[in-house]
Amino acid sequence: MSNVCFMHGNEAAAEGAIAAGCRFYAGYPITPSTEIAEILSGRLPEVGGTFIQMEDEIASMAAVIGASLGGLKSATATSGPGFSLMQENLGFAVASEIPCVIINVQRVGPSTGLPTKAAQGDMMQARWGTHGDHPIIALTPSSVQEAWRLSVRAFELAEKFRTPVILMLDAIVAQLKEKVELPDASVQVQRPLPTEPPETYKPFAFTAGGVQPLAPFGGDYRYHVTGLLHDEHGFPTENPETVERWWAHMTSKIEANLDQILEWEEDGLDDAADVDVAVVSYGASARAAAHAVTLAREQGLKAGWLKLLTVWPFPEARVRALAAKVPRIVVPEMNLGQIRLEVERLAAGRAAVQGVHRADGLAITPEQILAAIARAHVALPHGLIPSGDGRREAAALGRSEG
Amino acid sequence: MSYDRRFATTWQLLLDGICTTMGQLDASEPPIVLSSLPDLPYQRDGREGPAPLSFIQGPPGRNIALAIGLRAARPNTPLVLLMNADSVTLGTNHLIHAARRNIGMTLLLLRSELTQHESNRSIDRAAWSLPPVQAQIEAPTRPLDWVSALDAALVGRANLHQPDELATLLARAVRTPGFCVIGVTTDATLPTGVLSQCEWPEYFQAYREWAAPLRQAAAASASAPAVTPRAGVARCEVRIAGLGGQGVKLAGTVLSEAAGLHDGLWATQRGDYGSATRGGPSMVDVVIGSDPITYPNADHPDVLVLLTQNAADRWAGRSKTGAVVVADPAEVKRLPGGALPVPITALAREHTGKPIAAGMVAVGCVAALTDAVRLDALALSIAANMPKALVQANVAACQAGYAATRAASKEVAHV
Repeated sequence: MSNVCFMHGNEAAAEGAIAAGCRFYAGYPITPSTEIAEILSGRLPEVGGTFIQMEDEIASMAAVIGASLGGLKSATATSGPGFSLMQENLGFAVASEIPCVIINVQRVGPSTGLPTKAAQGDMMQARWGTHGDHPIIALTPSSVQEAWRLSVRAFELAEKFRTPVILMLDAIVAQLKEKVELPDASVQVQRPLPTEPPETYKPFAFTAGGVQPLAPFGGDYRYHVTGLLHDEHGFPTENPETVERWWAHMTSKIEANLDQILEWEEDGLDDAADVDVAVVSYGASARAAAHAVTLAREQGLKAGWLKLLTVWPFPEARVRALAAKVPRIVVPEMNLGQIRLEVERLAAGRAAVQGVHRADGLAITPEQILAAIARAHVALPHGLIPSGDGRREAAALGRSEG
Repeated sequence: MSYDRRFATTWQLLLDGICTTMGQLDASEPPIVLSSLPDLPYQRDGREGPAPLSFIQGPPGRNIALAIGLRAARPNTPLVLLMNADSVTLGTNHLIHAARRNIGMTLLLLRSELTQHESNRSIDRAAWSLPPVQAQIEAPTRPLDWVSALDAALVGRANLHQPDELATLLARAVRTPGFCVIGVTTDATLPTGVLSQCEWPEYFQAYREWAAPLRQAAAASASAPAVTPRAGVARCEVRIAGLGGQGVKLAGTVLSEAAGLHDGLWATQRGDYGSATRGGPSMVDVVIGSDPITYPNADHPDVLVLLTQNAADRWAGRSKTGAVVVADPAEVKRLPGGALPVPITALAREHTGKPIAAGMVAVGCVAALTDAVRLDALALSIAANMPKALVQANVAACQAGYAATRAASKEVAHV
């Protein structure tokens, strides 16, 4: 067996970053992510890396971009208020295709919200927080082991597809302590280097479903980096044909590689399974979902669960197929219904989708999810899709919600 | 895009000055130039091929922070930032902190050529950026004064119409370790040259020197020996609740690591320790079992240990049927029905002299009530979680909790 230790989720995310080869961290401490900065402030110097506490999250994100351009695998960590401040420069990293990892430990928002309490309310901000259409990758660990593994994976995906990757912890997973098994073998992520000489190197080449290796900036490869839409050399352009090719490149580098990016786990939902209800969840809520499915099966209910590990891009094909197979889908999440909207969109009326939501800082309990699973077993009048909290469904059945 | 001719000329002169400077530097890496404005001389229609200069056109004002990251990655590459007054004021926070940390970069600040002082009007937009009345009532911004006050490594001023002088000053700034600022003017009446200097170690250089010993310390890192997985242990939820200062958090760590690291089980630990370390309510949930733990909260504890009346009032009603409740009768005056009275705080004082060992007595209580926790694993976990000198007394406190709970449950059984 490999090394076994006990850590909390924040520590695992930080150690995963070190293992992946992260050698630069710029951040501004914020609850409930602070341990990541605290740990990396000691660990990075030990491995020859650099830690800097910046003046704010705007500067942190900018410094991460600068260090990554200069050749270092780079990361920052924050929570909602800081994540909001990072959106400007996050967009710059997307547009200029600079790899980096942003760890967002979600607490209850908006604004300063409930600083120490857990939430999953930044899911749509992770997708659309910076302005304009853009591709993005976001990962959602539900355990300390996954926080470590997906931290490594975030760097792999960031480097491979030259994009910011957002590791979306919630305060429950971040503060939870549990056992982690660390592999003996190195998981260090290598940034690919260009093979062609500087004279013919196109730093922003429009490839079909791939990316040009990023040459360390400031060396022999001289190029122009801009947040303006640009040609393959990085020079700004307003030429509609070039802009269209830029979009094709930006979207295809993610969409053509979904098989490498999408990751989920599921239980009891394979084609042969006879199930009435699927519970689709992620992060800490997925743990309660798995527990609830166990309780449901003990009561003779036919249920399975699907846990999202990649949440953006969304596993559209899987959820679409699920909706075609399973008549009811329950989506528990610590927000008022963000990923539920995605599931509803993909179900497109074929399966009834019901959310289990709370944003009061407390974990969704297995009992809440179990109640939704049981409710979903009640036959509904034809064509009626229950609303998020089940009230409409209950009203249609002539019962009041307890 | 269109810019007026004067602006284009300014950029050309500046870039010429930078190129001349680099010609004067021996064996230095070519510079990276950062600006929120595009490198206008390269904006020629139909241009092909690579850029002659490494150039970043970052978000206005953020280039200073971006350069900080670049400096960490490339300690020997000169970083030259071209900023007008608008972008430097947008990035003033970054300028202040880069200056006070002395991070190596050189800012060229373009001063409005149409005003008599360092103004917040940018050189390209001076004609329209401020209505005349605002120009009269707003105080000018003086970035050179700010950076002088912040003891920047070098503060200077050069005249755009003297490219050689600009190049000489820029070369000096690039060779100076740390944060340097050069105001660029066209006003012949203003003094030029070095206005102030301050010697101070450059941030990342100092950081590397400070951090060097830590790399050696990293060589030694321990890991727990492999433990045979233990099967057949059903999910067991434990909640210990008391006050900050009673060792509740450490109890959670000792308990969960005893099961998870030293006894081949899965275990989670989740706490609600309040904002104060002492005196506020403190609670920890530990869930243990042979299978990986799904839901990590002990909402329906199998074992509930109550160290205060407040904890009893809050949690006693919530444990599931068949749960065992242990309470310290010295603290919990209204014992919940069926609770086992164990003098937890008194035992902590007896064996360690300190009430903070209550948590260690509490984990002993838990071991007496469930097969999911074993006393020998607890001893290993205590040894791994505190200084050597304290281990013996705390293990004794833990064993005392175990023995007292066993005795109390026998008594209850007889009744």
